[in-house]
Amino acid sequence: MLEVRNITKRFGNLVAVKDVSMSVKPGELRAIIGPNGAGKTTFFNMISGYFPPTRGSILFDGKDVTQVPAHQRVGLGMGRTFQITEIFPELTVRENLLTAAEVAAGQTLNMLPGRAAAKLAGDVAAEMMGLVGLTSKADRLVGELAHGDQRTTEIGMALAQLPRLLLLDEPTAGMGDEETYAITALIRRLHRDSKYTIVLIEHDMRVVFHLADYITVLDQGALLTEGTPKEIAASEAVQAAYLGGTG
Amino acid sequence: MTTDVATAAAPSARQPAVPHWARLVVIWGLLIAAPFWLPLLGGYTALAGRVLVFGLAAMGLNLLLGFTGVLSFGHAAYFGLGAYGAGLTLRYLVHSTPLAMLIGTLLGGLAGSLFGLLIVRRRGVYFAMCTIAFGQLWYYLAYSWNDFTGGFDGLRDFHREPIGFGPLTLDITAGPQFYYFLLAIFAIAVTLLGLLVRSPFGHTLRAIRENERRARFLAIPVERQIWLSFSISCFVTALAGTLYALLNNFADPLALHYSLSGYFVVMCVMGGMRTFWGPLLGATVFVVLQDYISSMTVNWMSFVGAIFVLVVLFFPRGLLGLRRQSGEK
Amino acid sequence: MQLVLFNVTNGLIIGAFYVLMALGLSLILNLSNVINFAHGNFLALGGYLAYTLSPTLGYWGALLVAPLLTALIGLAVERLMIRRVYNRDPVYSLLLTFGLAFVMQDIARYVWGPNGLPLGLPDFLSQPISAELFFVTWYRVFMVFVVIVVVLGLFGFLRYTRVGVRIRAGTLDLETVASLGVNIGFLRTFNFALGCFLAGLSGVLAAGQIGLNPNMGDDLLMPSFIAIIVGGVGSLIGTLFGGLVIGMAAALTTVFFPSASEAVIYAIMMIVLLVRPRGLMGEEGMMS
Repeated sequence: MLEVRNITKRFGNLVAVKDVSMSVKPGELRAIIGPNGAGKTTFFNMISGYFPPTRGSILFDGKDVTQVPAHQRVGLGMGRTFQITEIFPELTVRENLLTAAEVAAGQTLNMLPGRAAAKLAGDVAAEMMGLVGLTSKADRLVGELAHGDQRTTEIGMALAQLPRLLLLDEPTAGMGDEETYAITALIRRLHRDSKYTIVLIEHDMRVVFHLADYITVLDQGALLTEGTPKEIAASEAVQAAYLGGTG
Repeated sequence: MTTDVATAAAPSARQPAVPHWARLVVIWGLLIAAPFWLPLLGGYTALAGRVLVFGLAAMGLNLLLGFTGVLSFGHAAYFGLGAYGAGLTLRYLVHSTPLAMLIGTLLGGLAGSLFGLLIVRRRGVYFAMCTIAFGQLWYYLAYSWNDFTGGFDGLRDFHREPIGFGPLTLDITAGPQFYYFLLAIFAIAVTLLGLLVRSPFGHTLRAIRENERRARFLAIPVERQIWLSFSISCFVTALAGTLYALLNNFADPLALHYSLSGYFVVMCVMGGMRTFWGPLLGATVFVVLQDYISSMTVNWMSFVGAIFVLVVLFFPRGLLGLRRQSGEK
Repeated sequence: MQLVLFNVTNGLIIGAFYVLMALGLSLILNLSNVINFAHGNFLALGGYLAYTLSPTLGYWGALLVAPLLTALIGLAVERLMIRRVYNRDPVYSLLLTFGLAFVMQDIARYVWGPNGLPLGLPDFLSQPISAELFFVTWYRVFMVFVVIVVVLGLFGFLRYTRVGVRIRAGTLDLETVASLGVNIGFLRTFNFALGCFLAGLSGVLAAGQIGLNPNMGDDLLMPSFIAIIVGGVGSLIGTLFGGLVIGMAAALTTVFFPSASEAVIYAIMMIVLLVRPRGLMGEEGMMS
């Protein structure tokens, strides 16, 4: 589904990402890991369209999306969450997801409430709320919710836009054990039960090994290795990178 | 001849999804009965008319300010253009109230839409600065173009005309009749605004207000939505301006001055920016207060200024804007 | 020829005023993201204070002290009110300074009366500099001289002193400056007072030329805004340039279309917004 070919990113004289490739199959859950400064976020930003690579190409379902900006990739089927949760604080959970669903349904210019297409979007929002388990909190203001629920709302918003590929930027960042467990369980459900294709960055190795089908390891901007969780766990090179580096 | 247009238009235009209908009954009830209870409190019907006119202008502004989170401090420009458009039409073109309203609204609305295109990529204080300066441009034109606009003294020599619907004539020249006409227009405009705010389009505006970055990443075309919100708010405020000219049979440069823009903003903030009816409440309080204070002292400017300062420092959420509680719609 | 010279010098003088006023406004805007609507009122305050002080301190004393007093009052205003709205929605700072403007205007009217008042100048300043250039009094030369000195002083201050450098850095990235341990509160207060100092000085200078009245600041407020928009938000050099451009344009237009001189300022603003919205010297991204 997602094919990244030899992408490189330069910021002036600094080469943040060097010649990295990755191929993600439909239904796969791919984790991107690496010590600090490995270029994971830069790599991720190029996949999601935040900025284009200096060299290389990105194909999504066979289509070249290398130069397509982030907000247009949504229309192509990519959903994304942010490391620092970005939600609409003074709107309810329902309203957060509803807005996302309506936009994805092309309703941005619809100035009358209650039309059929908008109703369909409402159904999608309700469905996704149920999928992520927030139906009981539907009418709570998201700004008042716990961090974990806010992150879950954000995932819900991404889902409400009916993506085929979910890009999650450090989904468990800043969470305690209980919340981490809940988010991990959610992602697992999305992957195993709902068959979403997911690419995520993670620092928490327990999460990575619990969830990933396949792992890409970056180190100092280059691809160190990739493989199944078992292979990566056994890899000496990976251990060296984490322990030996300034990470 | 009292028209029943207002009574007919208001309740039947309600949408079934509107909550708090009791609140609405109170609001519309008060408005419809205003010419009766207002004089009992020492007010007068034209004051109620002023409240409606400024309330509509403020509610138009609030679509942009409170719902989209974009600050315009120059909305008096569109208000004044509406007023002058209507006045000039009645004076120089044709004695037709509907046409005057149409031309005034178009004048203000189109000026705003076109200007909005220029500045839509700007944000925050820079955007506000441009709106202020643009407003003053029109103020300057109005008071210096003496021959056409009557200059500093304002545009006179026009008045609202009866409206003919075939065999029926709506005589709105007298005060009380005009009030109900005003109320009818207000009701229609406010109903449409209400629908807009609840629509998917309205949802995108709130999203932009809450978190522009997130909105953009949901594939909301932020600049386009902001421009549309800006334009619609200009049209509504311009409509209010035409009604102002008709109410007073007079249009003056002060209707374009940035001080009026400031009044609109404080009405929104004072009543509660984040609520739908807040601006109307703010307009009511402000108009009544200003009327009262200016009749008591020549130093009314200090009081008005003090109101601004107090609202900002102590009531930023406004009268209706106590934090939205979870569970409320 | 003489007419052109007359108008060019006029342009310089008007431009100098716009520059002085706009620089103060720009300083406050750049660092604190606040549009000081009351800036014109600080100008008037400076002029009025000079009026009240000159019997005791003489013209030169008043010229020195009045702007300082104005800065002090600005400092008090900033500490009491403005600093409460810094990190909020810009609507609040705008409403606050707007209300402040109303109050200040009324106070001026109350204390000094609604009528115009003259500010006495030392005799030699009122003399024309030569028989041919009879329209140029020494006072006008003096004004331009003061503005040049002050502007140079300001830019020097911003470049070479510690506080000045911090203000400039804060304009670009206040967060980083704060995290370096600099006292942001002090910086903002100082910056605001500095802006008011410039406004007060403008007021004293203006008073010598056109006399005092409670509305005197209003006429300069809008051109200051436009100077900033034209020159580019976030750039003091841009504001300087913008002020000179519109001052010149206004003066030169008076030669050909006397009644359109104010209109031309607005026209320039619209053209800039159409063609180069970031301003002549503004930088992309200094907009929000």
